[in-house]
Amino acid sequence: MTTVQAAAEGGGEVVEADNGKFRVVVITERCKECGICISVCPTKVLVKGPKANSRGYRYPIPEHIEKCIGCKMCEWSCPDFAIFVERVGGR
Amino acid sequence: MARVEFINANLAIAEGVMAAGLRFFAGYPITPTSDLFEYLAVELPKRGGVVIQFEDEIASINAVIGASWGGAPAMTATSGPGFSLMLEGLSFAIMTETPLLLAYIMRADPSTGVPTKSTQADVFQARYGAHGNYEIPALVPWSAQEAYELGAKALWVAERLRVPTILLSDATLAHTFERVEFVPVRRAERKKPRVPPEEYRPYEPEDDLVPPMASFGEGYNVMVESLTHDERGYYAPTNEAHRRLIWRLVEKVRRNWRLIHDTKTYYMDDAEVAIYAYGSTARAAYAAVKELRREGLKVGLVRPTALWPFIDEDLKRAVGGARRVFVVENNIGLMYKEVARALRDKEVVSAPLIDLELPTPDQIIEVVKEWRR
Amino acid sequence: MEAVRRLRKHPLDGLLRPERLPHLWCPGCGLGIALGAILRAVKRRIEEGYLQREKTAFIGGIGCSARASLYVDFDSAHTVHGRAIPFATGLKAVRPDMKVIVIGGDGDIAGIGGNHLMHAARRNIDLLVIMMNNMVYAMTGGQLAPTTPTGLYTTTTPYGNPERPINVVKLVATMGANYVARAAVTHPPLIERYVYKALGKKGFAFIEVISTCPEVFGRHIGMRDAVDLLNALRERVVVKQRPHIDESYYEWEGGKFVLGEYVDKDDPSYLERIGVIKG
Repeated sequence: MTTVQAAAEGGGEVVEADNGKFRVVVITERCKECGICISVCPTKVLVKGPKANSRGYRYPIPEHIEKCIGCKMCEWSCPDFAIFVERVGGR
Repeated sequence: MARVEFINANLAIAEGVMAAGLRFFAGYPITPTSDLFEYLAVELPKRGGVVIQFEDEIASINAVIGASWGGAPAMTATSGPGFSLMLEGLSFAIMTETPLLLAYIMRADPSTGVPTKSTQADVFQARYGAHGNYEIPALVPWSAQEAYELGAKALWVAERLRVPTILLSDATLAHTFERVEFVPVRRAERKKPRVPPEEYRPYEPEDDLVPPMASFGEGYNVMVESLTHDERGYYAPTNEAHRRLIWRLVEKVRRNWRLIHDTKTYYMDDAEVAIYAYGSTARAAYAAVKELRREGLKVGLVRPTALWPFIDEDLKRAVGGARRVFVVENNIGLMYKEVARALRDKEVVSAPLIDLELPTPDQIIEVVKEWRR
Repeated sequence: MEAVRRLRKHPLDGLLRPERLPHLWCPGCGLGIALGAILRAVKRRIEEGYLQREKTAFIGGIGCSARASLYVDFDSAHTVHGRAIPFATGLKAVRPDMKVIVIGGDGDIAGIGGNHLMHAARRNIDLLVIMMNNMVYAMTGGQLAPTTPTGLYTTTTPYGNPERPINVVKLVATMGANYVARAAVTHPPLIERYVYKALGKKGFAFIEVISTCPEVFGRHIGMRDAVDLLNALRERVVVKQRPHIDESYYEWEGGKFVLGEYVDKDDPSYLERIGVIKG
C-alpha cells in the first residue's frame, strides 16, 4: 500500500491508496467523520485514521486497500463528496 | 394614426404591457382586476406569450419571478387582499433584483371591504408593504390613456432598473371606459452581461447601480439568492456585505428617479394655492381647479405620475411659489404625511375625502373655499 | 512515505461549486448522499447528450434540502420557503427547452408548499420535483413536520406527535402526476435510477427520497449516530418493482417504507396541452 498526499480540486489535500486495480481517494478537508463510508464498505477497506483535518474531524484512510473491489459504495454513500474510487491503469 | 379603442384602464394596461413586450402573465382572479387577466388570456398567447392561472397569489408572483429569470418580461395583477399574499414574493424579487410588473388595482379598504368600489387606501401598502429595507417604484395613472402609457413604462422601468415595479390603479379607473390611443411605447429591455460567463457576477452593478442580468439557460450558471449575498450571489452574512447590498438596492431606485418620475402640473405658473392629487382623485381635483379658476382663484394642480420613490426636490419644483397646498386623496390622509414633511416651509392641508365612488369636484371646492376665510 | 503533488478531482466536482464545500449539512446527513445520486443521474443524462448543462436548472425553496441549489454549478435559485415549484413553473413556461429540477425538503414541498405541489401535479407541468423527506424541520432545530410519523417526539410535539403523517407519494399520484417514485438514502443507486428515468419524462415527475437527519430527528428518537440511524432506516425499507399505491403509507415504529416506482405514465403534459411543446 502507498499512501500519498496530493492537491485536491478546490484546495486541501487528499489521502489515497491503490491496489493495482482500484484507487481510493479521501479529500480530507471535506470529511465530517460520520463513519458511513466505513460502515457501508462490504470488504472493510476503510478505518478511521489517526489524523484530524483543520475542522477537527478524523477522516478515514484506506488501511486495507488490498481488499477493495471497486464497488464505490463508500463514494455513493458519502454525504460530503469526500471520498471516491478510481480504476487504476485503465488509461 | 395609432389604433384607438374605447376601453377601461384594466384593458388599457394589458394593451400597454403587450406593446412593451410582455411575455408572461400569472395571476389569480380577484375583483376588480380579473378583466385585465381575462383580456391577456385571450391576447397574449396570440403574440407568443404564456398566461397561467395559479392556485393563489403566492404562486402567481413566484411564477412571475421564475419567468423573469427565464428572460421574459413578466407581470401579475391583483388588488389589496391578493397583494397582501404577494408580499413575501415581492420581498424576494426585491432582494434578487428580479424585474417584474405588478398591476395593483386598489379596492376599498381593509379585509374584503367593497370589492367593486375604490378608495386610495393602499398607497403605503404599495410602498413598504413587504418586509425589509427597500425602495421600489410605484406609478399611478389617472386615466385609461395613462394606464396604457404607464403600464408600458412601468414594465420598462422594472426591466431597466432590475426592480419589481408597481402600477397603482384603482377600481374607479378599472370601471371607467374612455378613448385610448395606442401610441408607440418603449420596448422593455434589461441590461445584458458584457463579459464572458467565467467573469460574470450576477449582482455586480455598473455605475448606475444596476447589475446586468443574465437569464437562465444562457450558460452563465447564475445563482438567484434570497439570502443576503455578495456580487456572486453567495450568502454573505457580514455587516459590510449586508450594508453594501441594502444601500445599493435602495439607492438604485432613488438615484434613478428621473427614469421613473414625471410630475404633471396644471395652472401652476401663477398659482398661490396648489392641490396635490393623484390617480382617479386627481380627475375630480382637476375639475375643481378649473371651476375655482373661473371664480378667479389662483389655484393649480400638481399630479405625480409616480408616488414612490418619493422625491422631495421633484415635488418642490412642481409646487413652485404656491404658499398653501391641499393634499386631496381618497383615504385617511396618507400622502399628506410625506408632502407635509417635504414642504415644511409651506402651509400643507390634508383633505382626506373617503368616497367609494370618487370625491366630487364640489367636495374639493368646498375644502379649498373653507380655507380661504 | 512518498510525497507527490497531483490533482485529484471528485467525479462530481465538475457539477458542483467546490469552493463552497464542505457544505453546511451536519455530519452524516443523508441529504448529501441524495444530492450525489441526483448529480450522477444528471451527469449520465448529460454524457448521453440528452441534457445540456446550460439548459438544466436547480430550484430550491428554504430548508436544509433546498440548500442543494447553492452547491450545484448550474443556473440555480434559492427561493422563498415553499415557493420553489411556482418559480420553477414560471421558468419552465417561458423556457420549455430547459430541464427544471426542484429539490426541497418535506416541510418546504409538502408543508408550506403543499398547495403548490398538489396543483403542479394536477396541472402535470413539466418539472422534476425531488422531495427529501427527513420527517422533521431540521434547519429550524427539530420541529414537527407534516411528514413526522405519529408518536415521535419533536421540539413542538414534546409529548409525541398526535397527528398522522401526510403520504405525499399518494397525494401526488392522486393528483395525476406522470411519474411518482419513492427512494431512500439507504439505496443511493436507486435514487440515481429513478432520477435518471424521471429526467426523461414529460409532465410532472415526483420522487420522494427518505433521508436521515441524525442531528435532530435522530437525537429526538435516541439515535444520534449517523450510521445507527442509517441502519435503522435500512431495516425499515423494502424495495418493490411496481408497488401498489396503497402500500405507500408509512410509519416509523415497526413500519415499512416501500420504495419503488408507484406511477409511470404518459398523460399529456401541461406544456403539450397549451402547445408550447409538441406531444
